[in-house]
Amino acid sequence: MEDALLRIREVSKHFGGVYAVNGVSLDITHGGVCGLVGPNGSGKTTLFNTILGLHRPDQGEIYFHGECINNLAPHQIYELGLVNAFQLPRLFYDLSVLDNMLVAARGHQGDRLFNSLFLRRRWQEQEKGLIEEALDILELVELDKWVSSPAGELSGGQRKLLEVARGLMAKPTLLLLDEPAAGINPVLGKKIFQKLADFSHNGITFFVVEHRLEILFEFASWVYVMDKGRIAIAGQPQNIIGDPTFYTIYLGEE
Amino acid sequence: MDPLLYVFDLIVFIGIFGIVSLSLNLEFGFAGLANFGKVAFFLIGAYTYALLSQIGLPFYLCLIAGGLISAIFGLLVSLPALRLRADYLAIAVLAFGEILRLIVKSEDWLAGGDWGITVSSAISLAGASHRVDALVNIALVYFCLFICFTVAQLLANSPYGRAMRAIREDEIAAETLGKSRAKFKAQALMLGSAMAGVAGGLYAQYLHCVLPGMFMPMITFTVWIMVLLGGPANNWGALLGAALVEIFDRGTNIVKDYFVLPIDPSNLQYILFGALIIFVLLYRPHGLLKESSIKTKALRLAYNGRRSIKNKRS
Amino acid sequence: MVNWAQVIFNSGVTGSLYLIGAVGLTLTYGLSKFPNFAHAEFMTLGAYIGYFVAEQLGLGLPLALLVAFLIAGLVGVLCYRGIFQPLAKRGASIIHLMVASIALGFILRHSIGAAWTWKPLYFTATWSAFDAGPLRITGLWLWLIFAALVLSLAMHFLLMNTKIGKAIRASSSNPELALASGINVDRVIWITWFIGAGLAAVAGIFRGADTQIWPMTGWDIILPIFAVAILGGIGNFYGAIAAAFIIGLAENIGVVGLIALGLSTTYRTGIAFLILIITLIVRPQGLAMLFRRA
Repeated sequence: MEDALLRIREVSKHFGGVYAVNGVSLDITHGGVCGLVGPNGSGKTTLFNTILGLHRPDQGEIYFHGECINNLAPHQIYELGLVNAFQLPRLFYDLSVLDNMLVAARGHQGDRLFNSLFLRRRWQEQEKGLIEEALDILELVELDKWVSSPAGELSGGQRKLLEVARGLMAKPTLLLLDEPAAGINPVLGKKIFQKLADFSHNGITFFVVEHRLEILFEFASWVYVMDKGRIAIAGQPQNIIGDPTFYTIYLGEE
Repeated sequence: MDPLLYVFDLIVFIGIFGIVSLSLNLEFGFAGLANFGKVAFFLIGAYTYALLSQIGLPFYLCLIAGGLISAIFGLLVSLPALRLRADYLAIAVLAFGEILRLIVKSEDWLAGGDWGITVSSAISLAGASHRVDALVNIALVYFCLFICFTVAQLLANSPYGRAMRAIREDEIAAETLGKSRAKFKAQALMLGSAMAGVAGGLYAQYLHCVLPGMFMPMITFTVWIMVLLGGPANNWGALLGAALVEIFDRGTNIVKDYFVLPIDPSNLQYILFGALIIFVLLYRPHGLLKESSIKTKALRLAYNGRRSIKNKRS
Repeated sequence: MVNWAQVIFNSGVTGSLYLIGAVGLTLTYGLSKFPNFAHAEFMTLGAYIGYFVAEQLGLGLPLALLVAFLIAGLVGVLCYRGIFQPLAKRGASIIHLMVASIALGFILRHSIGAAWTWKPLYFTATWSAFDAGPLRITGLWLWLIFAALVLSLAMHFLLMNTKIGKAIRASSSNPELALASGINVDRVIWITWFIGAGLAAVAGIFRGADTQIWPMTGWDIILPIFAVAILGGIGNFYGAIAAAFIIGLAENIGVVGLIALGLSTTYRTGIAFLILIITLIVRPQGLAMLFRRA
């Protein structure tokens, strides 16, 4: 699999002697939705944070587009096109919903100090287009009525939606989603996955952690199952469902 | 004392501290940096001005140099500071300010040590009265204030300012959305220090002297009161805060001259300052003026035209 | 010729003072998660109360220490209850808490200034200096070292062998866990503020007796005391002991160095600031790793 978009090789991350991620290897190919499931504490979020550059892996390598990103800062990883939506939304609560979206916008000329002072015309034009894009995405997640309210005034479910919308706004090639449908009503949850599938036709690949297996398995083309910091099994959803190991992992946790 | 001159003097002070207040607002209000060493950069600007004007440089070069050197120090301080938590940064910069004050105090050859040195006015008109001198100072100070305010407003209402606020709100999230917190914090400290440096230069030439006693940590906290009272992340608030604190300061000084109080008014003033800050933090943590929202041309169009956009679609 | 024995002894004296001053700061910092700048004014307050009891009432140093400890401790608890706890409950950020502590410092400092004026005061008790071998020693310094020793032993006993001490350690390292395991974290915190402010007062008396008393007495040494708390690792008592003596040594050896280099000895205070800045940059967790138990 030479053309893997994201390639993880033997990555480990431990905290004070406890391995949260223990020798994980996996590949994500271009296009579609790839799932990551596993019981609580199996290391999914730690793996995501390690990919993002929030933790440095203790061992192993992470390649994105064939480039090793182990030692890159999170903002450099964003530049390469790898973006994340957090499990617990990390919004900019005093900023408006639209401003939250615009922070994520890729390649905004006005993000530079010099341009913000002296080349205002240049980015003002660009910003109009970005706002249009942002409004489109907000409409998709049904937040278009809240455009000018501070993000702090949103409900829990709406915050979650904005977190996902912000990830889409960043025009990633690979978007990591940590439980996008958690805390949202099931109908909307399913709708979001449908939208994600639409986006994946536009060239965004999704790597999704989700506990609502029934939704995930409907949309994912490949699923990794994580247990105790390792990848236990991997395969297409229908094969995973048929695998007895899968049930031991989930039910064994009880 | 000439009452008009007294008012002019107050106006000059509001202008100078308005600049410092704007600079702290940029660092704390927008970027969320706890600069507890503001006075250090004020000091650098003042001493740079004093030393350069002694070798005969024209006043505008002295002012610019003060801003530049202060900015360089701001950048230097920011390098380690970027890795520091808010509280560590606060303590480190506070200590930095105290070290600087120790240096200018101890090194007599540099700028007269404890006794300081005299500084000539930026602009001295031959045979001008005190009032005219004060007016000239007002013009100079408010010209600088106008530039700083414009810069601060342009930043506040730009994607750059938006990114800065995002870093203040959640630097991890901002970082994963492509905003290098190191870069933004360094630039905020640099710009803030440059403004404080210019203000220091203005202060030195207005008071005709620099001496270590002018740069006590007290200055830093007076500026913090201005920003917190006026309203962090609101440039008008920073100016309002500066004006209120300076007027309050004069008010208590006048009271001292005309009334006999059971308590020394200068002590009372600081007790009231302290109580005021605690009151503001407890009951009005956003200050008098709310955080200003980001206003760019495109955003204004979007907010005003939102209905039409929606109608078009539906 | 440098009298090294004297330098070492002086370091012990300086270190003792910083230790007594820093214990409260580091423990409240560790528990309440913000640096209390008004700790300086707890020291100043202690110095004035000590002066009042020992000089104006003429009741002697031991009673002065005790009264100052109790009153300052009470003030510390009141400040915590009246200002910092309500602020924290309202979700104030660490920056707001720091600013509030500075504001509280203004109030205390200038209230003291209003009560006693800003004219420096001096303890009149003369501390007879005597020579012991190569050392020049005053009675006050012996008292100071004795106080630091008693404090160290008492704190060690408190932290290791009493319920409240164990609760302080548990709450400092993991407040949620402490809360979950049934520790009354609130009580732990106010007791810590009481002890911390009380000890600050003791440090203030010694500092005042050794130099002078004025409303800035505490602020004059607050940055070295911060240096001790941070070098020792925030919330770490044993680290603070080591750090206090390291900084004491650095200051006193530094003075020798300054004289040798022909620099002004006013830089003495700068040495601690420099250590403070370097620690923050290089190793902000301080020496904590060496003293993991507390």
